[in-house]
This record gives sequence, structure tokens and C-alpha cells, in this order.
Amino acid sequence: MKLKNSIHRRTFLKGMGAAIALPLLESIGPARVFANGAAVKAPTRMAFLFVPNGMNMPEWTPEGEGATFKLPHILKPFEPIQRDILFLSGLTQDKGRANGDGPGDHARSAAAFLTGAQPLKSEGSQIRAGISVDQYVAEHLANKTRFASLEIGIEKGRQSGKCDSGYSCAYSNNISWRNEVTPMTKETNPRLVFERLFGGAVADENNKSILLREKYKKSILDFVLEDANRLSQRVSGNDRQKLDEYLTAVREIELRIDRAERDSAATAMVIAGIEKPTGAPDDMGAHVQMMGDLMVLAFQADVTRVCTFMLANEGSNRSYRQIDVGEGHHELSHHQNDPVKLEKIKRINRFHADQVAYILKKMKSIREADGSSLLDNSMILYGAGISDGNRHNNENLPIIVAGKGGGTLRPGRHIRYPEETPLNNLFLSMMDRMGVHADWLGDSTGRLRGLEA
Amino acid sequence: MPLQRNSKFLALLACVSAAVAWAPVFAYEPLPATASEVDFSKHVKAFFSNYCYECHSNEKQKADVNLQVFQTAPEMYQQRRFWSAVRDMLEKREMPPSKKPQPTEADRKMLVQFVDQELEKFDCSGEVDPGRVTIRRLNRSEYRNTIRDLVGIEIDAAADLPFDEVGYGFDNIGDVLSLSPMLFEKYLAATEKILSNAIITDEADLIPSFRLSGDALRSLGGENVRLEDEELWGFWREGEAVGERTLASSGEYLFRIQAYGDQAGPEAPKLSVRVDGKELKVIDVAAKENSPQAYEFKAQLDEGTRKFGFAFLNNYNGSGNADPLLNGDRNLFMQFAEIRGPMDGPPPQPPVSHARMIPRKPAPGEEAALTREYLERFATRAFRRPATSNEVERLAGLADLARADGHSFEAGIQVAAAATLVSPQFLFRWELDPGEAESDASRPLTDYELASRLSYFLWSSMPDDELLNLAKEGRLHRSAVMEAQVGRMLADPKSSALVENFGGQWLQVRNFDVTPDPERFPSFDASLRQAMKNETILFFKSIVNEDRSILDFLDADFTFVNERLASHYGIPGISGDTFQRVSLKPETERGGVLGQASILTLTSNPSRTSPVNRGKWILEQILGAPPPPPPPNVPQLDEGKGVDLTASIRERMEQHRQNPDCATCHDKMDPLGFAFERFDATGAWREKDGPFEIDPAGAMPDGRKFNGPKELKEILMGDDRFVQTLAQKLLTFALGRGLEYYDKCAVDAIVEQLKANGYRFSTLIRGVVNSRPFQMRSTIGDQS
Repeated sequence: MKLKNSIHRRTFLKGMGAAIALPLLESIGPARVFANGAAVKAPTRMAFLFVPNGMNMPEWTPEGEGATFKLPHILKPFEPIQRDILFLSGLTQDKGRANGDGPGDHARSAAAFLTGAQPLKSEGSQIRAGISVDQYVAEHLANKTRFASLEIGIEKGRQSGKCDSGYSCAYSNNISWRNEVTPMTKETNPRLVFERLFGGAVADENNKSILLREKYKKSILDFVLEDANRLSQRVSGNDRQKLDEYLTAVREIELRIDRAERDSAATAMVIAGIEKPTGAPDDMGAHVQMMGDLMVLAFQADVTRVCTFMLANEGSNRSYRQIDVGEGHHELSHHQNDPVKLEKIKRINRFHADQVAYILKKMKSIREADGSSLLDNSMILYGAGISDGNRHNNENLPIIVAGKGGGTLRPGRHIRYPEETPLNNLFLSMMDRMGVHADWLGDSTGRLRGLEA
Repeated sequence: MPLQRNSKFLALLACVSAAVAWAPVFAYEPLPATASEVDFSKHVKAFFSNYCYECHSNEKQKADVNLQVFQTAPEMYQQRRFWSAVRDMLEKREMPPSKKPQPTEADRKMLVQFVDQELEKFDCSGEVDPGRVTIRRLNRSEYRNTIRDLVGIEIDAAADLPFDEVGYGFDNIGDVLSLSPMLFEKYLAATEKILSNAIITDEADLIPSFRLSGDALRSLGGENVRLEDEELWGFWREGEAVGERTLASSGEYLFRIQAYGDQAGPEAPKLSVRVDGKELKVIDVAAKENSPQAYEFKAQLDEGTRKFGFAFLNNYNGSGNADPLLNGDRNLFMQFAEIRGPMDGPPPQPPVSHARMIPRKPAPGEEAALTREYLERFATRAFRRPATSNEVERLAGLADLARADGHSFEAGIQVAAAATLVSPQFLFRWELDPGEAESDASRPLTDYELASRLSYFLWSSMPDDELLNLAKEGRLHRSAVMEAQVGRMLADPKSSALVENFGGQWLQVRNFDVTPDPERFPSFDASLRQAMKNETILFFKSIVNEDRSILDFLDADFTFVNERLASHYGIPGISGDTFQRVSLKPETERGGVLGQASILTLTSNPSRTSPVNRGKWILEQILGAPPPPPPPNVPQLDEGKGVDLTASIRERMEQHRQNPDCATCHDKMDPLGFAFERFDATGAWREKDGPFEIDPAGAMPDGRKFNGPKELKEILMGDDRFVQTLAQKLLTFALGRGLEYYDKCAVDAIVEQLKANGYRFSTLIRGVVNSRPFQMRSTIGDQS
């Protein structure tokens, strides 16, 4: 006998604690090799990581421009990988502004963040924003991966109460919009994310249920599609809209079942030996890292190429005990220039950055089949829809983009754009790099220059 | 042409441009002092002529808005939405644009009052539009309860469903509830979980079993046979793991052993299974790590304590061998051994949920007929109306298909039931209009539709058999029958769903998860938070169960506490975790929901009280008069210049209100909140706020003064607006849609009934149930 690394692999993984531990990854990863043995170029992935309530901007903005700049306190965690990051100043999300709709900056800024569309001020009957950049891309890449996109977050949607000055909670709790009327609900429980992404590939010896067999799943979906089609001949107005949502959902699941059959083997290889998370950890840092791990895993297994991740809902008033901030984040963000409050916001902003840096470093450590790193093949946008929490302004937003976009970006620079440059211009440029081209998205006025490699 | 309100319109209305110079043609004079004296053709037109026609007239229609088409006041009513937008623009000072001449404050307010007055003039005597509810997807709690009542198992499959989006303060609004692909996937997963628990497809599953793995075994092989994690046993060399179990009876037992091996050398790892040292079976474990396999065999076992042993027989190490067939290291891994039996004992009883769906096994040849019979009953209850023969036939087709593939009768029912539970007919509540052309603008709901409206209103669940039977007999809509059913339903324990879902959302305690700053409130913990929430829920329940006056919500001489909450409140003599009813002394300021720690805490910031939030909460939840939001681009608090951070909250707020932009709204909110300043941010009593004295005096927006909660509550109790607000909120919840202007008639009628009946809770419920919007439905399709 030979003691395999002296410890059995599953024991090893468990020893790494609550976060999902990744196995030594160089050796794994979906095998994407041409018949002649040459590695296929790895696909490009994109993600959008969002934090609420703006930032302490003086402590965020890098000093100096171009390739020589100094990172201030909040961005310090990114120092070891600053050559992999573009720091972008001067971008504006105009549709987060009132533009005649009065207050509700929090809800509005979240709904506008990735859409560049003015959200309709409404508590209910008509929810309207616009398609978000991630969903635009997801729709066009839908047949490439098992899941068109992944929506994750840390805070559940609030159940009762209106969210913000006449705006429905749908606006503050989602940044991803499938189309102008349908926000993409996010998942906050790591266990459920894992099951959803990899459930089919995890051998569960107890599952002998007939309902889990693809054949019957498909028959069931055929049945309900017929039900829905019969109903659709008899409905109008809002009822029809709801039924259309249902039809779209069922068709998407059908497609997903087909895709799952196709690539379950590759997925099984990446996640072999990984412990399933049991639930959301109490500590927010651990929770963010765990969700980040899942996003990375999903990218690595090429289960999806598009992700949105809300580190907190817009207007979130949670406190941050782990860094000795007992007051609520939203409450603090109205800092009135009180230096004590500003200092605490800085700490919260830094705490978030620490977690994001963890995720980015992990991506950098992962080798893909062609020898590049996962981060090299990604564009990870991190930032907020509000600049200064006290003024609720939407210009000069705090935005960074990490990764080389598959060699199409030249990171390691701080670029300052002219005032009022639409954030959506950046999105158009990112979409190009995903191979999804559009003339415009939301309020874009063109492509963002100067990102190129 | 006036148009529908949309964001574009609002945005455009705010634009500033003056391409055409407009010359006013009316001599301008200030508006009269009371709204009733305002004359549209004289005063309003003069106002518009001076401030609005420049951009919104027959000549020019910025944002497609033309105010000049209106000649008389009654026309306003016909374009209610339009005027309501105009009114809001004026009130929020968004129009006229700031660069243009502005009306006086008095005129601006008077015009707003006049519009309000005209829009209130709604004639309730005719055929009032009952409204049209959008199909409602079952929300989480409705889904959970419906599964409980339909399938008969308490399994929280809904726990994995995402939270529902909220509109108009509630999470059961048809227009708002959406269905994403992810949610549909979760419905599929929940369905699988529910039905694999509810229906037994293999009777063997009912036979008791136990598992041997992890700590249930011990090694007889030293280091080389060992536990690798919580469950998995690794055999690195020959050796045995053993464990004992006591069997209650003798008989045939089924062994199921899940294992895999590191494959090397000429043969697979051999696993010997032994009982009391005697070998029962040797298994060749050919499976590999990524696809472990379950190996099964049967054996006769005797009752009593038995020693089970699992041994690896053929270790092999050919590492480095040049022959690839001989190279490698052979090891064995066992995940678990499951032992089930006796298999030949008396047949076990299936669970209630199984018997409910499948009362008996079919005799040979009877499968097809029984499938149809059982599915018709199930689908009728699931769809909350008779299943059509076509539906039953299509469902049965699924069951037939499974049986044709060799699955059991029960598995066939399972597949068909799964299709039922993810069908749009189940997941949504439908009120389909009959196919033929409608002669009337509205129709009474069918008895089945009424049954669902009642049950989802009072129980957040499906109609029970009694309601469905009354619907089948066509008797439910009769007023005496409805009356009796409402009484029965409120008395049923299932009505606690009304308290949780309506009460919990109205009072905002359902999702009560605030955590005050532990440095300032070290005694606050999860058990206190739970106790706070329980108090409010129990208090609401007592109002329902004892049919008390709804004015008790505002002030009452009793509440419910356990030891933890009593000590928080300073009420002596209560011990234990169980809640008990206690009387509150008349001088106490605690009575009613406004003095309950839950409300006081959820309207506070983590580190301090927020009189603004408390006041705003009262305006929104009690008076139904949410304050107009602050003007755009103004921060919540002043930039700090001249605000003394060492002053009391009240003093700081008062400084804040010296800014006239802030004062208009904060004058309405803050004083209401100040009344409760003697309660800290966790609702505990305090004499002082740190070093600062507390002044709980204030005045209502109309000038009525109060000193402390007691006097404020008296004012609120004398104010019709509370009763009206509660009626509006309950009607919203009952209908699952936002209220429209025409619903005013229903609300007014409910308020009148309450006044005549001592404000009893049951009167409120009956008022809603008997209202036109609850019993009728507009047949005119909405445009969207």
C-alpha cells in the first residue's frame, strides 16, 4: 500500500474550514483540447460585484494617473495584484439621478447601476428598469454554458415595507434585470447555489426518485407548457405578462436540462472532492468569501460565464461588528462630514475590499487549460452605484475592473475619464470583449477608450 | 391630450426650455382662502396661464402635456391619474421649473388642496368598478400552507424558495410577484422533495433500516483501517471494521453497501461482510472513487445483538511495476452499510399523505381507472376548481407512461402529481373570464373563485373541503353562507396566518431582524428580539380571537410578556419563557402597538432612537399619510454646519428643521416621534437620554398639542384616518392588488360599518369580504 499524500483528500478539504476549499486546481479544469492536442483558448468571463451606500471617496481614489499611481487606504488590499486591475475614475451613471422623479436615490442607483435606464418610480403594479449588461451578454451566450448567468448576494430581499421613497424593493435588492420588467432574483444561501450549479453532478446515493430522471422531468415540462399555452389563449394585459414569464422560465429549464446532459462530466471533474457548503455563515466576511468561491468555481467549471454579486443590498443598514462598527452602514453613510463617521465608512469600504481582493487573488491562482490564469480571462467589475453616501451623487463612481479580459485589456493603470462619461460606455466595451456587440445599451454614447491592451 | 403617468412624462415635465414666450391673458389674482371657493374657469385657469401654459398649452405641449384642454372642474375627475400627477408635481415643487416664475406658497398649497377636493368627488352610488386583480403566484407562505393542506405533510420545502418581492406593503400582490427561471427550478426541486416524502413508491422504504458507517464502526486493523471523515472508512491494507446492533426480530434483511476502490492489479478489491464472525458475502468492489456503487444482497439474521464486520481481503501494491496492468496500489473505501429488515415481516403502514393520495393499491387491471380517479381528485383540489376531463386525461397519460416503463403504480401517480404541482394552474390563482363576449363591465366571482379569495385571505392557504363543497353546490356566494364561513374560518387555528402575514407586514414585525449596537445595548440578544416579536403577534391574535375593537391597536390596558420581556419592561413578578397576559396600569405609556418594544426598536437606528423614523412609521402605518419625500438631491441631514453634535436628538432635529426645505415634512414627522423619546432604541423605559432631559411634547400637523404618548394616542384614536388606513391596508392584502381611486367607496363603507359596530375586528373582516371589489371582478381587460 501507499498512503496517498498520507491524508485522504476529503479529509484534507474539510480541514480547511467553513469556506469551500478548492482542490489543487492546476490539474483539474474542464478539458478543452482540440483533437490535435492544442489547448483551446479559455473563454472570457465577466462579473459585477456591487456594494451599497457609496464610498469614502478620498480614501478610494488612487493618487496619480497612468501606470504610476498610489493606492489609498481602501484599495490597499489590491496592491499585490494592482497590475491586474484597471482603476477607473470619472464614470457617471446618470440614470441613478432623480431626473425629475424626486427622492429614492438608493433604490434608483441600484436599478440603474447595470442598466443605465431610468427606473420607473413605482411600488408595485409596474416595475420597469431596463435590461442589464450581464443579462444582455447572458442572453447572447445562453447556449454556451449550462447557466446563462449566476445571480448571488449576501442579504435576502426585504419582505415587508416599501424600500425607498416610493420605489419597490425590487429596485434596491437587484442589480441584474433580465428585461425591463423582470429583475433576476439572487440567491444568498451558499448551499443552494452549490446545489443549483453542481447538484446534478454530485453523486447522491439516496436519490432514486423517478422525479429526478431527465425523461420524466421533460415530460412534466411538456405537460405544463401545454397548460400554459392553453391559458395564454384566454388572458390579456398583466395576466399575459405573468404567464409569459412562466413560459420563458419553463423553456429555459428545458434548455438547461439538455445542456446538463452535455457537460456533466466536465463539471464532475472540477468539483470532485469538494465539500458541499451547509449554509450561510454568520460572519459576513466568511459569507462573501464563500459566495466568491462559488462564483470562481462556476467560472472554473465553465458552468456559466456571467455573474452579478451584491455584497449587500442598496441602502443596507447592517452593522459591522467584526471591525468594531456598531452603527448601521446606511445611517453612517449620511456622515455629514463627521470625521468619526467617515473613518467608520472607510473601515467598512476596506472590509469589503478585503473580501473582493480575496476573490481576485483566488482567481489569479487558478490555471486554465491553456496555462493562463482564470483572472487573465476575466473582467471583474467592482464598485458602487453611488459615489458619496452623504450626497447621493452618481458621478465619478468608484469603479475598478480586474482581469485582462482574455488579453484584451491592459490593466495596472489608473484612468481618469472626462466628467459625465457614461458608465454604460464601459459596459459596451466589456460586451465587445465577450463577443457580444451592440450599438448601445441604456444611456451609452459610445465605447470607452483607453482600455485596450 | 392628457396621458398616462410614466417616468418619461415626469422626467420631461421637469425639463426647462423656453422657446416660445407665453403672454398671460388672464389678470392674476391670488387664489381664495378655501378650496371650495376656488373656481376652475377663473382661478385655476389664471394660475395656469401665469405659470404653466408657457410650456403646456394648445400651442406647445412639453412632455405631451396640455393643461389648456381643461375647461371645468368635473373634467378633472375623468383624467384622475393625470391630475394626480399634476398635483404631485406641484406639491413636490418640481413644477414650475425652478428657473421659471414661481407661484406664492399659499397659491401652490391651495391649488393642491383644490385638486384633492375635486378628485375626492367620486360618486359611489352607481356601478363602481370592482377592479381587476392580476393572477397571483402563490408566495412562500401560501405555497407552504397550500402544500400542507393539499398533500398533508409538514415539510418545509418553501424554505428553499427565495423571498417574494413586496408591493404596496405586502408580498402577495399579483402585479409584483414574478417568476424567474431560478424560481421555477426551485419549484421543481421542492416538488421532488415533497412528493418523494409524501408518496411511497417502494414499500421497502417503509421497513426500518439502520446504517453502519463513521463512528458506528471501530477498527480491528490498526492504522491501516481507519475513519477518513465523518462517514467514510478507508482500508489501506487487509483488516476489519466492526460494529454492533440489536435487532428486534429475526427475518430476512437487505444489505446495501456503498463502496469504491483504488483499482490496481489483476482483481478488484474484495470486501467480506460478516455477522458474528461468520462470512455472509464477499463483494468484488469494482467501482471507482468518482462513481461509488451500492452493492446489495439479502441474508437471514436472528434477533438480538449482532456484531457486523467489514473486511478488506486482498491488498495489493504494484507501484512502479513496468506492466501497466500490474502497476498501482489497491485500496478499499466504504461509505456506509445500510441494513434493512425484516423484509418478510408484516406489511408496514404508509404515511397519511400517501393514503390521502392513494387510498388503496389497485387490483390487477385496475391501474388505469384508479389512476384517473385519484388524479381527478388531486388536481381538483390543487387547481381549486373541478379539473377538466382533458386535464385528467393528460395527467393520467404521464402516469401511464411511467408504468409502461416498468415503474410502479405509485411512481406513476408521483410523476402526474409533480406535473400538477408545477402547473401554472396550481402555482397561480386564476380568475379567468368566461370565453363568450361580456355584456357587463363586471361580473360576480364564481363560487370557486370566492372560495380561494376567502381562504387565501384568512388562511394564506387553499380552500378546505367544506369551502370546495359549498362552491360545488353553488351556495357559497349566499350572504348567510359567507357569513357563517367567515366565522368558522376565523375560529380555525389556520387563521393565525392572517396575523402573521397581514399583521406581521402591516406592523412590519414579520421580518424583524434588527440588531441594536451591542456596546450601547449589551443586554439585547436573540431571545429578547424573539420575545418582542411574539408580544406583537400575540397581541394581534388576541384582537382577532376576542373580536376586540381595532382601536385597541392604538391603546390597550393589556399586553403579553414572558420573563425576559417583562424584565426589559420593568414589569415585576413574571417568570418563565411562556408568555402570559398582563394588565397595564392606566398611567403606563406602554399600551397598544406604539408602546411595544418591537415597533420602538424597528423604528430606531442601531445606536440611538430615531424620532424621524418613529414619526414616519406612524404617518405611514397608522395614519396612511406617508410624508412627501425630501426634495431631490438634498441630503437627509444638514451638512453639519452649526449643528451641535453634543446636543440632544431633539435639539439637533429642531436645528435641522430651521431649514424651511426640511421643515415642511419634518414638522409632520418629528413631533410624533418625540412623544416616544422616553423609550430607548430597544423600547426600554428611560428617564433621560444620556445627559439630556427628555421633552415628549409636540403637536399634530393641524396644530393639536399633546404631551407624551398617552395624549398622542388619544388624538390618534379620535382620528378616522387610522380606521380608514387599516381598512385600506386590509383590503389591499385581501385583494392582492394596490387600491385604485374607485376603491374609496368600498373603504368608506367599511369605515361606516366599523363605526356602527364598535370597531370590532370581525366587522372589519366582514366589511372586506362583503365589499364589491372582493366579490366582483371587472371584465374589461387591462392594457399593458
